[in-house]
Amino acid sequence: MSTEPPSSAGRTLADRLRSWPPERLARLMGERTDLGTPVPADSGQLASRAATRTSLLRALDLLTSAELLVLDALVVLGETSEDDLVATINADPAATRAAAHRLEDLALVWEAPQGLRPLTAVVELVASGAAGPGSGLLPVSVPRTPPADVEAALAGLSPEADRVVRVVDAHGGRGTTQGAGTGGPTDEDGPVAEALRAGVLRVAARERASGTVELPGEYGLALRGGRTTTSPVDVVPALDLGEREQRLVDRTASGAAAESVRLVEAVLEAWGTDPPSVLRSGGLAVRDLRATARDLGTDETVTALLLEVAGSAGLLAQGADRGGDAAWLPTPAYDAWTARTTAQRWSELAAAWLRSSRVPGLVGSRDSAGKAWNALVPELSSSLAVETRRAALAELAAQDEGAVLVEVETLVARVGWLRPRRPRLREDLVRWTLAEATTLGLCALGGIAGPARALLTDGPDAAARALDPLVPPPVEQVLVQADLTAVAPGPLTAEVARDLGLVADVESSGGGGVYRFTPASVRRGLDAGWSRDEVHDFLARVSATGVPQPLSYLVDDVARTHGRVRAGRASAFLRADDEATLGELLALSRTASLGLRRIAPTVLVTDVEIDELVLTLRDLGASPVVEAHDGTVRVVRPDRQRARVPRTRPAGQAGSPGAGAAPGETDAVAERERWEAAAQAVRAGDAAAAQRPAGVAPLSPSGSLAALREALEAGVSVHISYVDSHGASTQRHVRPRKVEGGTLTAWDHRVAAPRTFAVHRITAVARSREDAAPSGS
Amino acid sequence: MNDGPLIVQSDKTLLLEVDHERASECRKAIAPFAELERSPEHVHTYRLTPLGLWNARAAGHDAEQVVDALMEFSRYAVPHALLVDVAETMARYGRLRLDKHPLHGLVLTTTDRPVLEEVLRAKKVAGMIGERLDPDTVAVHASERGNLKQALLKIGWPAEDYAGYVDGEAHPIALETADWQLRPYQEEAAESFWHGGSGVVVLPCGAGKTLVGAAAMSRAQATTLILVTNTVSARQWKDELVRRTTLTEDEIGEYSGTVKEVRPVTIATYQVLTTRRKGVYPHLELLDARDWGLIVYDEVHLLPAPIFRMTANLQARRRIGLTATLVREDGREGDVFSLIGPKRYDAPWKDIESQGWIAPADCVEVRVSLPDAERLAYATAEPEDRYRLAACTAQKTRVVKELVAQHPAAPTLVIGQFIDQLDELAASLDAPVIKGETSVKERQRLFEAFRSGEERLLVVSKVANFSIDLPSAEVAIQVSGSFGSRQEEAQRLGRLLRPKTDGRTARFYTVVSRDTVDAEFAANRQRFLAEQGYAYRIVDAEDLPRLEQ
Repeated sequence: MSTEPPSSAGRTLADRLRSWPPERLARLMGERTDLGTPVPADSGQLASRAATRTSLLRALDLLTSAELLVLDALVVLGETSEDDLVATINADPAATRAAAHRLEDLALVWEAPQGLRPLTAVVELVASGAAGPGSGLLPVSVPRTPPADVEAALAGLSPEADRVVRVVDAHGGRGTTQGAGTGGPTDEDGPVAEALRAGVLRVAARERASGTVELPGEYGLALRGGRTTTSPVDVVPALDLGEREQRLVDRTASGAAAESVRLVEAVLEAWGTDPPSVLRSGGLAVRDLRATARDLGTDETVTALLLEVAGSAGLLAQGADRGGDAAWLPTPAYDAWTARTTAQRWSELAAAWLRSSRVPGLVGSRDSAGKAWNALVPELSSSLAVETRRAALAELAAQDEGAVLVEVETLVARVGWLRPRRPRLREDLVRWTLAEATTLGLCALGGIAGPARALLTDGPDAAARALDPLVPPPVEQVLVQADLTAVAPGPLTAEVARDLGLVADVESSGGGGVYRFTPASVRRGLDAGWSRDEVHDFLARVSATGVPQPLSYLVDDVARTHGRVRAGRASAFLRADDEATLGELLALSRTASLGLRRIAPTVLVTDVEIDELVLTLRDLGASPVVEAHDGTVRVVRPDRQRARVPRTRPAGQAGSPGAGAAPGETDAVAERERWEAAAQAVRAGDAAAAQRPAGVAPLSPSGSLAALREALEAGVSVHISYVDSHGASTQRHVRPRKVEGGTLTAWDHRVAAPRTFAVHRITAVARSREDAAPSGS
Repeated sequence: MNDGPLIVQSDKTLLLEVDHERASECRKAIAPFAELERSPEHVHTYRLTPLGLWNARAAGHDAEQVVDALMEFSRYAVPHALLVDVAETMARYGRLRLDKHPLHGLVLTTTDRPVLEEVLRAKKVAGMIGERLDPDTVAVHASERGNLKQALLKIGWPAEDYAGYVDGEAHPIALETADWQLRPYQEEAAESFWHGGSGVVVLPCGAGKTLVGAAAMSRAQATTLILVTNTVSARQWKDELVRRTTLTEDEIGEYSGTVKEVRPVTIATYQVLTTRRKGVYPHLELLDARDWGLIVYDEVHLLPAPIFRMTANLQARRRIGLTATLVREDGREGDVFSLIGPKRYDAPWKDIESQGWIAPADCVEVRVSLPDAERLAYATAEPEDRYRLAACTAQKTRVVKELVAQHPAAPTLVIGQFIDQLDELAASLDAPVIKGETSVKERQRLFEAFRSGEERLLVVSKVANFSIDLPSAEVAIQVSGSFGSRQEEAQRLGRLLRPKTDGRTARFYTVVSRDTVDAEFAANRQRFLAEQGYAYRIVDAEDLPRLEQ
């Protein structure tokens, strides 16, 4: 086959493809990417793949209006020589030939023995209208009526019949007439019957029953003067262009670029601490979008765009919030992103937008089912988006520097000509592209900016380099004023912005920033762990103008009252009027495991449960009295177990008549305590189950000892696997209190009592998970 | 990137770096359309508002000038959306205009028919409009001229008023400039007003607004009604007019609670006009008592609501508003714009100060600590009593005495809110006190004595806040105020900003109780001062003796 000259015809597309030089095959697979993935085994496979309906529909999306009409003509004419084709198309011959060659390059058409021939599947698509706007001609009859006969037949029609024929031609070559084919109530002398008799119309074979008539292609052609269209097909709609200084375009665009970077950072920074939840449909709630737009000081369209771009750039994704629910959160990539320069950050966003199939422009509108589109829902994408975006921008980039688009609709029309299929979405996409590119700073004032040109031709790095001199360099210092504001004379570095945002409220943002110090904002900084001096140091460092005295006073005033009252968490407390008693307890080595802390001369607190505390203190000879919540003394005595009296009345009703109130209350208390204990046991069981270490390696007794001692020191609970004297292996959750003489004395959480264990029977020790995590309080 | 002094924020604030070499050039360029919000030491904040932009349109600026000014001085790229917004907002002004019609009296015409259609469908406008004369013109009931303008502004299509003014009853008035002259900015202000027909002149306290009023009267040459805040202020206007113009005492009438004279020039108080008996305003007829050619509104920012309603019916007369600030605490700036007129002149305090027309001021906050007993009383007090407790601590009396002693020769005012406190202070300072119950005669006598230097020390309540000229005051000590009103602060500072003969700096002390609601209110007031560019210092009461060293 390789010896075959390239221009000679083949029997099938596969044959033709076999004769193609490799570059041409590569070009084909480059344009119709679906053909090359996975790599086809041979040309046969390639050809069969190229003829599938879905692949063809994608390929048709790549055609211009002119190419589509040339393809249409080929379908009308059937297998045709190139010269005949040129004669039939109302266009510059060179344009027709170029279009034909492109169709061939795309493997939509191949050179058969009698000339060019569209793939059978293409014919079907075009005939069914799925290919998009065509000439409206039906294929010529086979064999084709000679031109002279066609002329004669048309010339011989009565004016009424001629009108009918033209109406049929204007309606895609088909018309319905009652009984035209069945010889029913049709007027034998009527114009339809006349045209049928003359052979200009024929009864549609497949739709005989419905009485549809067809106008064969050759007659249609003749009516249109021998060409498929009466107007030229190769006239590309021109853009309405004006003049602007390129410098101005670049400057305006760079402003928008910096702004979009700032806004993305602002929204992700906010969502990092307070993430909005993910809808069940996977998107963002309208309410959240609206709130975010309000916070950003922009509208919902812009916000949706920025969120989608952030998502496409991998800066925003679904994660779990603190409660474990699905939420929109910045990704680790976001942290890396913030560390880069504004120009680099922008180029990442712009590149992500350019390659994203997302359609943020739809957000807020309703789909065909009447459901509003939410931002970030997975379905919000279109296969046309990327290509349309590139096509629209390429049109702008093809203009000279300084040429700007005056009328957007001319671009819509031009792109509509270049990509005629699926016009409605396409037109919207072009409009959105321009609006989005303006928001993101690729375009401004209708012209394409330098960095965007670089992005389209040389990629993100070049774009970042081109933008860099245009964006203001980040500043590290602010002007602090006596009215307690700080003004950043430019974009702040991320670090300073974050710190300043902590101790001051953002009042205005944009190219610069205005921050206001208030008692609340300074307190927020102190709450976040800053000390008074740290705040002072920070202010002195970032202020280019010194710290005004009122601000120092403000910080001091707030710091003075901050932390005056302290709150903390403890499980139990010990108090005594006598400081010495508590001092004595604190000094005892045996109370070390209780983790007692002195928070006032007469008050000790601990994290251990009160029961454990009381038992331990009793062991030590101290005799504590337990106080109830209201400060009264509660008497503790060993639980005497009793069977429960069967309940005779439903729960929730008043105490039984005749019974004294006091016994009823005691019962209720005992009851409650019992259930509380039960609940605790259940919870401990849960915890053990959940935290049971999987596959803990058995420990040697000495290993166990070490682990237990460590736990004892740390004052934490552990899970132990214990083989009891009956040989049964159990899991226990215990807090070690003493390890000596080969035995472990520990608080067993399950039974809520101290127990002793023989160390040699402990087969495994593992820290419980809640203790393994560093405790926050 | 430009090296301009201006940063244009996307939220429509403009940040002007004042130390920049092109700062003053930039200020001149943006002042016509941007409203100065704050002017602290380094960066001044302006804001673009629809009203500001419409003011600029009224003054003959167009969107292109605004956009050019922003682009020229902006350091960074100006947000495109903002430019679009500016152009759109400005384009809304002037689509509608009110004109005189030989047949139908007053008509509303449009250059943009859809706008007229939109407006005619608005509920707010219904009832003010008469028949449709042609597609672009509707008749307007003459009595609704003001209300219509107000309503149109509210729906965002402010109308330009070309319906003109009545001349009023002629009355010769001229300035008597034998021993003085209008300052250049006063001349300019009067000129801009006259050129614009009606409107507001914004000048800082102490910059001589009365003279701008007098200059406007000398141009109008007609009978004039002057509306002022209170009786004392009315007397001052009268004195000033007698001194500075050819008007004699007999030509000037006072219309107040005590005297009701209607003369070619009549000075009325807001209070008497808004007095209401049995649901009617009995003194309203004053407005029609003569064929006034000019109406002067003193302190426009305090204009009470009923006066707005009356002003709506006075649209055929020339109106000039005088004020130190367009900011109204009740947010009715739009009514000032539509009923009195657009801003015609504006000059920031600092500029006038640097030209030497008003005295610079040095603001000091003195902090006192409440003794423990008072702290406890404060902590356990009902919220509504807290301010009084904090503001009236005896500690303040001690500090005031110390401060007074530090300025032994300087004419000093002690200003406060609570009468008990003022009485106590007056007793311990051995100074006369002026409060609400002091008769007007006595007040005038004391103010006169203070002006002449007879009395060095006055203790005054809030009656002295407005419009009383005490040019000799050099020190003011504020011990309490009405809950942090910014207005009040401006007025109090105004007491001191009159030019001093020897160029001395005025002192403004505020005595504040630390860690109380008093300090919070003080912070509010100080913010206003700092925003006006008066950096203030804070000292502890214990450090006072060292203050002067």
